[in-house]
Amino acid sequence: MTKSDKLLIAAIALIFSASVIAIILGMKKSDSTCVEVVQNNRIIYRFDLSQEENMTFRVEFPDGGWNDIKIENGKISIIDADCPDKTCVKTGVLRSESIPIVCLPHKLVIRFSDKENE
Amino acid sequence: MKAKKLARLALLTAVALIIFIIELQIPNIIPIPGVKLGLANIVTVYAVYKYSARETAAVVVTRVVLGSIFGGNIAAIMYSMAGAVMCLAGMLLIKRIVSMNFIWLSSILGAILHNTGQMIVAVLVMRSFAVLSVYPFLLAAGCIAGAFTGLCAQFLIKRGSLEKTD
Repeated sequence: MTKSDKLLIAAIALIFSASVIAIILGMKKSDSTCVEVVQNNRIIYRFDLSQEENMTFRVEFPDGGWNDIKIENGKISIIDADCPDKTCVKTGVLRSESIPIVCLPHKLVIRFSDKENE
Repeated sequence: MKAKKLARLALLTAVALIIFIIELQIPNIIPIPGVKLGLANIVTVYAVYKYSARETAAVVVTRVVLGSIFGGNIAAIMYSMAGAVMCLAGMLLIKRIVSMNFIWLSSILGAILHNTGQMIVAVLVMRSFAVLSVYPFLLAAGCIAGAFTGLCAQFLIKRGSLEKTD
């Protein structure tokens, strides 16, 4: 094992543990009930999940494509989309501040927002 | 470029493409965009250590372009390309200083750089830093996946099993 090998191991160990720590720190459940739906860096919807009725609606995109968003019992999720990977659907309901629901092909993000911003 | 070498590189590209497309069919258990095993990276690591920088770059770029077309997700080509280029550049640089028993380290570094490249494109495309919150997940998963594919490649390189076909 050369010196540069050791250096590389140390660097990788550092990056790995830093990201694990970041994940653990970010795991805390959000106490906010406000979510925003952001498309192309523009907020297109804002909901307070604790007050919202159950509903399903479709977000269409200028370049074609759509996502079906469902709000049920104070939880928001994407239930269907016409993208090939459907990562946003598999993400399930929005739980944590650190993991937004992201649909990269449609540049759509659903995330918790602070109450102060309302 | 000799015909034999050309055939070798084409074969390598084909193997990488097949691995890439088979991997697409494996359901992703971690629902975060960008998290995957990256099995096709085995071929990249192998090529980095067995062929020249230019030849490896040709294999990787061809694989990314064809993979995006065959995989039916051409919109994702920017992410794949940025990731692949960063990953390749990093591994080629680190190749000189890493000894043969630690090829898997260079693969982990490649995975980290791949995820970093993807993340940079994601931030540029979305014009928002919101996506950065998944970066730690990408990094942690990338380290594990990179170690796995790197070990696979290391066994392959040390055995030289592909060389016996001469």
